[in-house]
Parts: sequence; structure tokens; C-alpha cells
Amino acid sequence: MKPYTKYLSKCLAAFAGVVLLLLVSNLLAFGGTFCGMIAEDYGTFSPARMLDNISAQASPDGIARAAAGQLRDAQIWAVYLDETGKVLWKENAPDEIPDSFSVPDVAAFAKGYLADYPVFIRNTDGGMLVLGYPKGSYTKLPGNYLSTRSVRRLPLFAAAVLAFDLAALFSAYFYSRRKIVRSTEPVIASIEMLGNGKPAALTLRGELAGVAESLNRASQVIARQNQARANWISGVSHDIRTPLSMIMGYAELIANDSAVNGDIRKKAEIIGRQSVQIRELVQDLNLVSQLEYEMQPVQKTTVHMAGLMRTYAADLLNGGLPVQYTVEVKISPAAETATVSCDARLLTRAVNNLVQNSIRHNPGGCDVVLGLGCTADKVMLCVADNGIGLSADKQKELNEKPHYIESADDRLDLRHGLGHVLVRQIVKAHNGTVQIESEEQKGCKVTLTLPRG
Amino acid sequence: MQSSYLHKKKILLVDDEPELLSMLRSFLTADGFRSVVSATTMKDGLAIARSESPDLAILDVMLPDGDGFMLMQQIRTFSQMPIIFLTARDEAADKLAGLGLGADDYMAKPFLPQELLLRIYAVMRRCYKEDTSLIALDDCTVDLSRAQVVREREVISLTAKEHLLIETLARNEGKIVTVDALCEALWGDNPFGYENSLNTHVRRIREKIERDPSKPVSLITIKGLGYKLNTRE
Repeated sequence: MKPYTKYLSKCLAAFAGVVLLLLVSNLLAFGGTFCGMIAEDYGTFSPARMLDNISAQASPDGIARAAAGQLRDAQIWAVYLDETGKVLWKENAPDEIPDSFSVPDVAAFAKGYLADYPVFIRNTDGGMLVLGYPKGSYTKLPGNYLSTRSVRRLPLFAAAVLAFDLAALFSAYFYSRRKIVRSTEPVIASIEMLGNGKPAALTLRGELAGVAESLNRASQVIARQNQARANWISGVSHDIRTPLSMIMGYAELIANDSAVNGDIRKKAEIIGRQSVQIRELVQDLNLVSQLEYEMQPVQKTTVHMAGLMRTYAADLLNGGLPVQYTVEVKISPAAETATVSCDARLLTRAVNNLVQNSIRHNPGGCDVVLGLGCTADKVMLCVADNGIGLSADKQKELNEKPHYIESADDRLDLRHGLGHVLVRQIVKAHNGTVQIESEEQKGCKVTLTLPRG
Repeated sequence: MQSSYLHKKKILLVDDEPELLSMLRSFLTADGFRSVVSATTMKDGLAIARSESPDLAILDVMLPDGDGFMLMQQIRTFSQMPIIFLTARDEAADKLAGLGLGADDYMAKPFLPQELLLRIYAVMRRCYKEDTSLIALDDCTVDLSRAQVVREREVISLTAKEHLLIETLARNEGKIVTVDALCEALWGDNPFGYENSLNTHVRRIREKIERDPSKPVSLITIKGLGYKLNTRE
């Protein structure tokens, strides 16, 4: 389940929880309000208890003294009728209570009130006990009856209503959730694309159309900024080229001029070497930014890797490598015919950056081996040296720390090489991987693994 | 193969930066070129190309009144001189556009003078064959125009492939030429699986040019890469 659908489920589950909580709190409030009265309704002075109590202590002859006291305390009066409706005795009764009752009178008060007093009756062996409660203390429902059929149906009806309500609630939940997921899915997908640095173009109708528009606008702003940044870098690197050509040219002219003092010629050589470094940096910077913002499409052709490696090595040697370095190409017989669909210029650049790293980090000299191997579906291109190698920390840093060009963290170490970033970028553009193996004083080996094709 | 015969060729430089032009002129003359003409605009460049008929043009891609590609197209209407582009943009598209129009090579700025010189020589050697075509080797002389090896008083003929092989190596004299480049020169665009044939040709050439074919000093093997032809200075 995607994180945001989980989030939606959580929200709706929380909503259901709130509904449940509300019900429980309603019940509690009801209980809190009515528990006192209910206790009273079913307590010592309740009609049922009182009838039990008094009828046990009453007979046609009269009432026990204790029972009479109880009645007085509770402001309840009592009369006792015989079978003909004649009052045998009264206790605490108001004056308006007559001394005898006809059958219709009895039938009328049995279900309700006697002179506005709510009354409760109990038939005993000797006659009928009537208890009269103070006016207004109880409400009686004289017309209270239901057909047995409807009473029997009631639980079924309640269960059905409950089930229907639950089903309706659940389907409302289900459909609203589905609707939200469906309408937000493209929005979330677009945000994810933006997050991955890809442009988003979203078209939505209805309420979310505005959201889509904002997203597209954000995407355009990002694209414009990236374009501006790439243009800026490419502009600066363009403008630096002609002046740098001049520095490099004159430095070489001075260095090769036999009429010039030897010391000055050495210095000119240093200027020349450092200018070459600047050139490499500028080219790397430009390429990294072009690849980063996908300004320059990678021009893939089927490239014979063994040939590429040999051509590179021959160019390197023909260009004049200082004597303290050696370069050897080792191509496994199986890799001799292996091809990779790639931009040959970029891959050569990646190999060159790795070789130049080996040369730069080993001023005392080293032996560089360019290796090429392959499996059924991959080509492994490796650049190894037997120089000073990398410490475990430095290796970790190269593998994990982002370069300053890829990070907004200004505490990053700015010395961390741009050349390596370009290697990673180029390999990434070819769906490959970079692996660095190194041990201090035992050299360094970088393997680029690329899909065959 | 000596390159000095190329020094009498006339080179045209077109770049909008006068200081760059004067630097290029300095190191071309320092290297032995005697005749260098230059222009800072497309219009002047075209006029000089017509009036001076140079043997090689080095054109900047960006010119104040047009671009180097347009200039090349106009030059091509009256001349087939080799053209090398200088470009401050290193996008692949520029390279393709240039070479697709018939440029001979291109050089991205900034460059070392030596790098540009190497390309100038390589392009000129391809276009202007040396009149004598004699290659002086340690134990013999190869006469490319007659496809012959002259050794003491003996004259040995070269086969067509052997001739092509020696010529390719001689053009890059003192430099490593990869087996890939040699196979391509000998067998064309899809040069796979010819390594054994190449070895055979190399062995036969050594028998003709080396004093001791098992210990070659002129046509030497660069392990894992290719071959190199050492000439006698």
C-alpha cells in the first residue's frame, strides 16, 4: 500500500474512532445524569419495593405500626379494599379518597391516577392494597400497549437497521476513499516525478484542476531554473576557453623557447600544467551540469569496447606520458568482441578521468592497468593502479558523500574531486554502476559495469 | 616520414580574437611554418582564401559576421583545402555538423599548441603526400611510391596490404597505432576478426624490413594495443 493511501485509511479510521468515542461518551453522560433518578425509581421507596414491603405487613384488619411509619416518612398514603370495593382501612390518606369504590372506579385508577395521585395496587389474600404517591411524583402511561407481533419483530428490525446503517457507512467510507485516492493519485505521482528531478505535466478536471496547474507551474519554474543554471555554467565555461587557450599557448611557447632562462621555462611548464587542470575542470563542470539537467542527450551508438580502450590508451601514450607512469591494456578474450550501446566520447571521458586521477594522486609514478571483461549481459571496464590507494574513510566519502555541485550543504569538503562525479554521472546515464576498491598503499581499482548491447 | 616538407604549406587562420591569432601565428612559425595568413571576420577570411589560396584553413566556429560552418561552405565552392575547426563549444552536435559538412578535424578550445600541431600535421599528411615518399628505417628504406623495400642492393616488393599497413604506420610515425585502426585501414568499416591476418602481414613485413625479424626494431609490437613504426632520423 502506498504511503498516502495508508495515510487516508488512517484518517478515516480516526474518523470512525471519533464516532465510536462520541457514542460511548453519550452513554456515559446519560448514565451520569440519570443514575440518581433510576436508583430512586428502583430503590427502597420505589412502588414495587413499597408494595412488597407494605403488603407483607398489611391485612384486612390493619397495618403494622412500622409500616405506617414508613408510609408517613415517604409521604405515601394507603387504603385497603375488600372484594366489594369497600374501604377496610385508610392510612395517611387525604380526605378526597372515598370510603368505597365501584368496579368502574377501580378499573379507572388501577391503570392510572386516583384524584391525581399516582397509585399502585397489589391484590393480597384478604383484599386489595392501594398505595398513593404524592401528586406529580410519577407519570403513568394509561394507553400503553403494543401488538405481540410488533414486539416480536422489534429485535429483528433493530438488527436490520443497524446492519443497513453500518453497510451504508462503510460504503460511504469505501467510495469516498477510492475517490480521494483516484483524484489525488496523479497529483502525488507528479510530485514524486518532480522530486526525482523529472518535469511534470498534469491535466486534471474538477476541484483539483487548480492543484494541477500549480504543480505544472512549479515544474516549469524548476525547469527554467535548471536551464538557466546549465546555461550559466555553459556560458562561463565557454567564455573561459579562449583566454585559457592563450595562457596554455604562451606557457608552452615559453617552456619550449631555448632562448629563455631555464628557471623561467620550468615556471612556464607549471603554468601550462595547471592550465590543463583548469581546462579539465571546466569541461567536467560543463558536462556534469549538462548531464545533471539532461540538457545534452546521450548520443548512443554501438561501440566496440576493446577498440575504445585501445584507442584511448594509444592516444594517452602518443600524447606523451611522463616516464614514471606505465599504461597497460588487458582485454579478456571473451570481451574482445563485446559491444555497449553508449556515447563513446562520454565513456572515453570517464575512463580518462579515472586514469588522470591515478596520475594526479601518484606524483611519484604508478602502473595503470586498463582492464576489460564481460559476462553474458554485462561489460566490466576497470581502471586499476598500484599507487598510494585510498584510505577507508576517503573511500566511504567517495561512495556516500554528495559532491558540492549536488548538495546545498556548505560544510562539504570542496576538495572532493569533480572528475569522480562526472564518472558517476556518465555511468548513470548508461544504466551502469561504479565500484571502487582500494587499500592504502596497495593501489586503487575502479570498475564500471555497463549493460551489453 | 618527415613532416618538414609540410612547412612550406600556407595556413589560413580565422578567429575573431586577434590575440589568439597572434599566438597561433607565433607557435606555427616557431614550429617551422613559413607562411601564415589570418583574418578576424568571415568576409576577410573568404577574401584571403580566394586571393592567397592557402593549403589549410583553421576556422573558429563563432565569427562576428557568421559562423565557421558557413565560411567553410563558401570556401568549398572553389577549394577542397583541408579545414580544421576551432570551437569553444564542445557539444557533439557541433562536431557532427562540422565533420558532416566535410571538415577534416576539429579542436575544442582551450588546447595545447602541441595538440593543434599534431592535428595539423595529421590532416596535411593525409592530404599532401610527400613527393619522395621515402621512409628511412633502421636497416632499409621503404619507397612508398613504388611499394618497394630497398635493402643494401636488394629490392623487395610490398603487397598492396603490406603497403597500406606501412603507409598507415608511417603517417603516424613514432606513434602507437591500435590494431583496431590498422584493421579498419586494411579491411574497412567492420574490422572484426582480422587480428590473425594482421599478425601475418606484420610478420611478412618484418621479414622484409628487419635485420632480425624475431627481434624487430622498426616495426615494433606494443603489447595489448597495436604497433609502432620507428624511423631513422
